[in-house]
Amino acid sequence: MIPVLALFNVFGQHPGRATVATAAARLQVYAPTRVRGGLLYEARFRVTARRDLKKAMLVLDPGWAEGMSMNTIEPSPLGQASRNGQLVFTLGHIPAGQSFLLFMQFQVNATNVAWHRPQNVELFDGGTHLLTIKRTVTVYP
Amino acid sequence: MDIALRSIIVFFFIYMLTRVIGRRELSSLEPFDLILLIVLGDSIQQSLTQDDYSVTGAFIVISTIAVLQVSVSYLNFRVPRLRPLLDGEPIVIVQDGKIVERNARRERLTTDDIAEAARMHEIASLDDVKWAVLETSGELSFIEKQN
Repeated sequence: MIPVLALFNVFGQHPGRATVATAAARLQVYAPTRVRGGLLYEARFRVTARRDLKKAMLVLDPGWAEGMSMNTIEPSPLGQASRNGQLVFTLGHIPAGQSFLLFMQFQVNATNVAWHRPQNVELFDGGTHLLTIKRTVTVYP
Repeated sequence: MDIALRSIIVFFFIYMLTRVIGRRELSSLEPFDLILLIVLGDSIQQSLTQDDYSVTGAFIVISTIAVLQVSVSYLNFRVPRLRPLLDGEPIVIVQDGKIVERNARRERLTTDDIAEAARMHEIASLDDVKWAVLETSGELSFIEKQN
């Protein structure tokens, strides 16, 4: 039973794709929603501008960093900040029709355990909220 | 998902490896073989769990290997035609006191090895042996001539 469930990705590791699009932009997140302690994994954020985004900003829930080691972010964002506990990454100007691809490499801390921890991703253009991707992460012990 | 797939691949690789290495080497654990076995186990562990420290990961690997082992054993039991492939066949090494050179060479058994195994079965000379058979377990079994 356990191997069959594992093959169907019940215990995680295999990444999933979530996409939300509006008239202004399209955001795709490619990352696993179920992981286990110690695993190395990648989260990929693709922002496609449908109109000129003067100051694109990705805002991640604290669940992205809770009990995770963030190994690297490529390319480095123009700025990083905290907004009420959320992680803010300033990507800068994205011309209409172009994409910005952000890679983040994580490792799950061995003591981290979570059940449907929120990992929402929001896209802003300056102070204007453009879209939100709602997702959660489960960390098996 | 990936960890279960890795377990399946590694299981069949080890299964194939044990068939290739030969039963004789696996049945007699000399100190060097023992160390090699430990090194092999450590290398396999790296490829199976990688950086996974979780109990869930251990459960997946152990249960996948257990299921595969039971499946192979069941196939071996239910499908006689698969037995030579999965388990091998007994090989005659000595017939009427004479070593079957072709079989002995294939299993890398020297006359000294066979004589030593015979002595361990309290047989003084290979001339007294009617049959010596290398069993699928890697053990040499002897049937003495009737006086």
